Amino acid sequence: MTLFRRLLLVEWSGLAVAILLGALALSVIAPNFLTEFNLYVMLRSLSVGLLVAFAQMVTLGVGQMNIAVGALGGLTAIIFGATIELYGFPLLLAIPLALAIGALGGLINGLLTARTGVNAFIITLATASAFTGINFGITGSIPFYKMPASLVAFGDHHLGAMPYLLVAPLIVAFLLGLFFSRAAPGRELLAFGGNPQAAELSGISRERVVVSAHVLSGLLAAAAAVLAVAQLGSAQPTIGADWLLLSFAAPIIGGAALTGGHISVLGTLFAVLLLGLIQNGMVLAKVDPYWVQFVLGALILAAVGLNRWRAVNSGVA
Amino acid sequence: MGLALEAVSKSFPGVKALDGVSLDLKAGEIHALMGENGAGKSTLIKIVTGLIRPDSGRVLLDGRAVQFGSPRDALSEGVSAVHQERNLIPRFSVGENILLERLPTRNGLVDYGAVAREARRYLELLDPGIDARAKVLSLSVAQMQIVEIAKALSSEAKILLLDEPTASITEHETAALFKLLRKLRDDGVAIVFVSHKLEEVFAIADRITVLRDGKNVASGAPMEDMTRQTLVSLMIGRPERVAEIAERQVDPSRVVLEARGLSTTRGHKNITFALRHGEILGLYGLVGAGRSELAHAILGDARISGGELLIRGEPARIRDVHDASTRFRMGYVSEDRKQEGLILMHSITRNVAVTIWRRLANVIGLINPRAESRAVAPFIKRLDVRTPSLGQLVGNLSGGNQQKVSIAKWLAAQSEILIIDEPTVGIDIKTKTYLHELIGEIACEGAAILLISSDMAEMITLADRILVMHGFRLVGEVANDHQYETTSRAIIGYIHAVGDVTPAPAG
Repeated sequence: MTLFRRLLLVEWSGLAVAILLGALALSVIAPNFLTEFNLYVMLRSLSVGLLVAFAQMVTLGVGQMNIAVGALGGLTAIIFGATIELYGFPLLLAIPLALAIGALGGLINGLLTARTGVNAFIITLATASAFTGINFGITGSIPFYKMPASLVAFGDHHLGAMPYLLVAPLIVAFLLGLFFSRAAPGRELLAFGGNPQAAELSGISRERVVVSAHVLSGLLAAAAAVLAVAQLGSAQPTIGADWLLLSFAAPIIGGAALTGGHISVLGTLFAVLLLGLIQNGMVLAKVDPYWVQFVLGALILAAVGLNRWRAVNSGVA
Repeated sequence: MGLALEAVSKSFPGVKALDGVSLDLKAGEIHALMGENGAGKSTLIKIVTGLIRPDSGRVLLDGRAVQFGSPRDALSEGVSAVHQERNLIPRFSVGENILLERLPTRNGLVDYGAVAREARRYLELLDPGIDARAKVLSLSVAQMQIVEIAKALSSEAKILLLDEPTASITEHETAALFKLLRKLRDDGVAIVFVSHKLEEVFAIADRITVLRDGKNVASGAPMEDMTRQTLVSLMIGRPERVAEIAERQVDPSRVVLEARGLSTTRGHKNITFALRHGEILGLYGLVGAGRSELAHAILGDARISGGELLIRGEPARIRDVHDASTRFRMGYVSEDRKQEGLILMHSITRNVAVTIWRRLANVIGLINPRAESRAVAPFIKRLDVRTPSLGQLVGNLSGGNQQKVSIAKWLAAQSEILIIDEPTVGIDIKTKTYLHELIGEIACEGAAILLISSDMAEMITLADRILVMHGFRLVGEVANDHQYETTSRAIIGYIHAVGDVTPAPAG
C-alpha cells in the first residue's frame, strides 16, 4: 500500500488537504481572505456550527439520529432569552438553566427511544415538532432583544483573528475527544453503536447508553443555542431552524459511520472548518448564497462515497 | 455439466488466500472441499459463484473458459450456491425468498398462490413442516438453513455448491438433505460439499479436494482411499492431537447457580438443575430444543415467569444482561459470534476490555490506554490469538481467533458463572482442541460453566454431567463417563423416550 493510499485511509487527511488547498487558493484569488477581520468573521460563524455538529455526532455514534437538534436549540434559546429579559436572571443562573433545558429535552428523546424501542428518527422527528410548537407558542415568534452587555461582548470580542466565541466549542471538542477515547461511558456508547446486541450481551445497559447519548446531544444543542444568542445579540425564535443539514453533513464528512460505532471529533471539526471556508469563499467570490446549499449536498455525497471506499479497502465492509 | 478451476490465485491485502489452486468437478458426483478455517474454501466458492474475481487462473465450464461478473451471471449458467452467511430477507415470506429472482406473476402482479405452491415443491423435499407463507423472521435458525438450501435447489442448478449446509440443522434434516443430494447426483448434478464434520464427508462424498494455506494438498482424490487420520493430517499438516482435559474434583455442596422449577416466557417448563463451582454442566439437545433460549432467560434477556433462580444460594432477580454481568458475575459466550458476541469494526483491545472499562477507569473516569492494553494482553497471549497487534480489527480475524476474543472478554471480566453456547461451531480442528482444553482449564480454576452444545463428541469430552433438553423441558440427566458409546446412547435414549414431541417455536 502506498503512502498516499494509507493517508487516504486516515479519515481527516483528505479534509486537512482540502482545507489547506482551499485556503491557499482563496488567499491568492481573494485578497480580502487573509485579513484579520475576514478570518475573525469566518471563525466566529463556525462556533455555533461546531457545537451543532457535535450534538448530532454523539447520536450518530450510537447508531441513531437526533432530528430535534435545531428545534431543541431554538426552544432553549427562547427560554434562555425569556429568563433574562422577563425574569431578570443573571447569566450565571440563565446559562446552567438553558443547558439543563437542553439536557431535559435530550432525556425525553432518550427515554422515549429506549423505552418504546421505536426508531430515534421517528421519535425525534415528533419531538422536534413539539419543541418548535412550544417555542412559537411562548414567543408568538417575537424575539427577546434585551441581552446583557457581557453576553453580547463575549459574542463580539476577539483576540487577533480568534473570536472568544470559538473557545467554547474548542473546549467541548477536547472534552468529547477525551470522552470517546478514554472514558468508560464514551467507549460504551461506541461499543453499542458498533453492535448493539453484542454490547448488550457484554453487560452494557442499553437504556443507559441510549439515554446518555440523547442527553449529551441535547446538552450540546443547548450550548450551541446559548452561543447563537451571544453571536446574534438577541434570542431569536428562528435559531436552530437551519441546523439540521449541517448537523449531519459535518460528522459524516468527518468520517462518522452512519451505522454507528465510529465517529471522529477531529474529522468533524475539520469538516465544519471546510464548510465554513467554502461558505466564506463563495461570499468573497460573490456567488449566490443559495448555491452553498448545493455544494453542501454534493460534499455529503462525496464524503459518503469516500467512507464507503475506505470501509471496503480496510476489509471491514 | 462439469466445472474446473486451473491454477487460480487470489490475494487480499496482507494474505494470499488462494495460490495456484485447482479443482476438477465432474457431472454426477459429490465432491468434498475440505480445509481448516482460512485455508481458502470460501474464497474458492466465491470465485466460482462470481462474487469475487481471481487475480489469475481460469474457471472452465465444460471446458469453456468463463468469467462471472456477478452471482447473477453464475446462476444463468446453472451455478448455484448456499453460502455460509445467511442471505435471506427476514420480512419476506419463505416462498418469496426461495423464488426471489423469478417470482411468478399474473397480469403483471406477483401471484402469491403460485409462489407458495412452487416453493412448497422444494421445501417438501427437505422439511414439509415449513410453511411457504410464513415470514422468514419467524423461523428457527435450522429452518432458515433449510430455506437457503431450497432456494439453491429451486434454480435447477447443474452445479451446486454447499458451504457448511449442515452447520445448524438437525440430524433428521441432515439425513433428508443427504438423501436429496444423492438423488441430485444420480440425476447428473455436480455438487461441491463443504463441511467441518468429517463423518458427513465420509458419508456422502465421492471424491475430495483438500486445501491448506491456500494451496492444494489433495485434488480430486477418491474418497475410498481416504481415512479419517490421513484426511485430518492433510488438513492440519500433522497428526491430530487429542484434547487433554485435566480431572476435576467438583464439591457437590458448592452450588453456584440453581434453577428450581423454572418456567419462562419463551416456553420453558419446570426446569430444575444445579451448577457447582468448578463444574462443567452440559446442556445437550437438538437444534430448537430451547437451550440458547434458556441461557437468555437466565441472563435476564427473557422473563422468568415461574419457579426460582438462586445464585450462590440467594434467590436472584436478574433484571437484564447488564445486571447479570455486573451484579452476579455471569458471562455469556454467544453461539452467534458476529451478531451477538463481537463488535467487528472495533479493535481486539476494545472487544475484550468492554467488560472491564468501568473497572479500569481512574478517579476522574478516564481509561489509560496503556493500562487497557496491559489488562487485555495476558488473555490474548494465553488464548493464543493469532494477530499482528492488539489494535487489529476483530472483523479481520479468522473465525477461531474471533471465538478466542469473545471468550477472552469474559476471562478478563473474571466471570464466576460462564454460559458457553456452541463454542466450536464452524471452528477448525486445531483451534477446537485448543478451545476444549481452555474450557477445561477455566473450570479447573473454579468457574462454573454451563456448556451448550449439539456436538455430542464435544459434550462427552468436556462435561461432568449432561442435562438433556427436548421441547423446552429437561428430559434427563446423564453422568458423563467420557465413553462415547455408553454416554451418547444414554443421551439419545432420553431424547427418543419423549418421542416426537414437536418443540415449541424458537425465538
